[in-house]
Amino acid sequence: MHRYIIWPAVALALAIAVYVAEPYFVTQRAAGGPSGLAGQRAPIFDLRDDRGRAVSLQQYRGSLVVMNLWASWCPPCRAEMPDLQRLAEAEAGRRIAVVGVNEGESPRRARAFADSLGIRFPVWIDGAQQYGRTYNALGLPTTVILDRQGVVIRAFDGPLTLDEMRAAVAAVRAR
Amino acid sequence: MSWFASTALVVIAGVIVEIWLPGRPAYHAGWYNVALTALAIVVIVNGRRQWKAARSSRSRLAIVAIAFGAAATGVAGVASGLFAPDDRDVVGAPGERVRVEDVGTLSFPLPSQDRSGQVVVTLDRPLHAPLEIGAHARNAGSFILRAVPRDVVDVEVRDLLGNRLTVTQPSGSVFLSPVLLMQARQTIAGMNVPFDSFNVPAARRVVKAILFTPAEAAVLLHDPGVPGPERSQRAAVLFAVDDENDRPLPHAIVLSAGGAAVRAAGLLLRADVTSYPEIAVIWAPNIAVVAVGTLLVLAGLGVLGVRRTPRTH
Repeated sequence: MHRYIIWPAVALALAIAVYVAEPYFVTQRAAGGPSGLAGQRAPIFDLRDDRGRAVSLQQYRGSLVVMNLWASWCPPCRAEMPDLQRLAEAEAGRRIAVVGVNEGESPRRARAFADSLGIRFPVWIDGAQQYGRTYNALGLPTTVILDRQGVVIRAFDGPLTLDEMRAAVAAVRAR
Repeated sequence: MSWFASTALVVIAGVIVEIWLPGRPAYHAGWYNVALTALAIVVIVNGRRQWKAARSSRSRLAIVAIAFGAAATGVAGVASGLFAPDDRDVVGAPGERVRVEDVGTLSFPLPSQDRSGQVVVTLDRPLHAPLEIGAHARNAGSFILRAVPRDVVDVEVRDLLGNRLTVTQPSGSVFLSPVLLMQARQTIAGMNVPFDSFNVPAARRVVKAILFTPAEAAVLLHDPGVPGPERSQRAAVLFAVDDENDRPLPHAIVLSAGGAAVRAAGLLLRADVTSYPEIAVIWAPNIAVVAVGTLLVLAGLGVLGVRRTPRTH
């Protein structure tokens, strides 16, 4: 009787000791920046576009979305915008949406900036900088690619070239 | 009640109190953990004697349950007291996801995501369901999470034409957040006050913000046009605007109270002082182990008590 109780009890005690102590010795990998959201459903905020119309990511469910966070004072954003326009034109009709989300500026300023560069893809106004916050953007521009279910697949900090954009879209499409 | 049962119950009580009243420094003190360990050893040694004296297998099983339950609970208490990291306060901006070592990822919601005005922070961990931390403390196994309200400042910046401008915080935890968490402190006129800063890149300005409580603001404002009670209820924010190289600008220090927009160095600044939670992470003995240990001890004591009750016919 003695050994039938004691040894299982010792084994159970050891298992409990490991279970109890384990959380204190395991550390999680620290990660920052927009890539930390990869694999998660993108937050959806009800915004207005630069013409005052109500917009939401919900309307693009079923399409790949290339979401670019930008501001008019950001020189790399200015440099990247024409390539985003080329991407939007090249991918037109292939269930890909390119959306520029202005972070924290007025519609008038965003519209003037977009017009000066001949931007025709949708420009949204995120006055409260909600996307910048929830994507943990490290700077501008930040580009996030969502799959057809609205899940974040890839995120980029800093400007992309047209080739990099095409490669990223192709990789997501091939999944 | 025997010495064996008493010491077992003391061990259980000594660990449960760490969960019931968490965050006391004594739990991490050497004397507390030595005492817990000593008591657990006493339980095991006494249990061995009781085991030898026991006459039935049921009594022996009950004694093992008591000893094992008290020892497991004691291990949980000592492991928490000696090995657990220091308690900490996790501060996050609205919308920010903060990864905390050994804890998980805390998601701080934006105001639009709040339910019924209550800010609910969510903890995500692998292999666990999301844990929502609202008004009440939540036990997450080896630690307790509690939301503690703190003052933050929501700023809005416009140019003199009324165009909204982007607010960035290059030295903050979230680059693109207009919410100042006011984590630094600075002494001004003998008052130790919260302090933060942000950039307005479009205007090439750096803005420092200092938060004053309603009482401090009442001293600063001295506005006879504002009724006394109202004056004493408004927190105030002092803005100091510098150029992008941190050089002071003329007419660039202004005080904003009650959410009013103020003009400084070519900017219109508005500050709303609001309450937003930080999360206190308090390490505690593993609640599952303590629960199982306590049940074992109580069950064992119950069996021994029943066995000792004389039968009446």
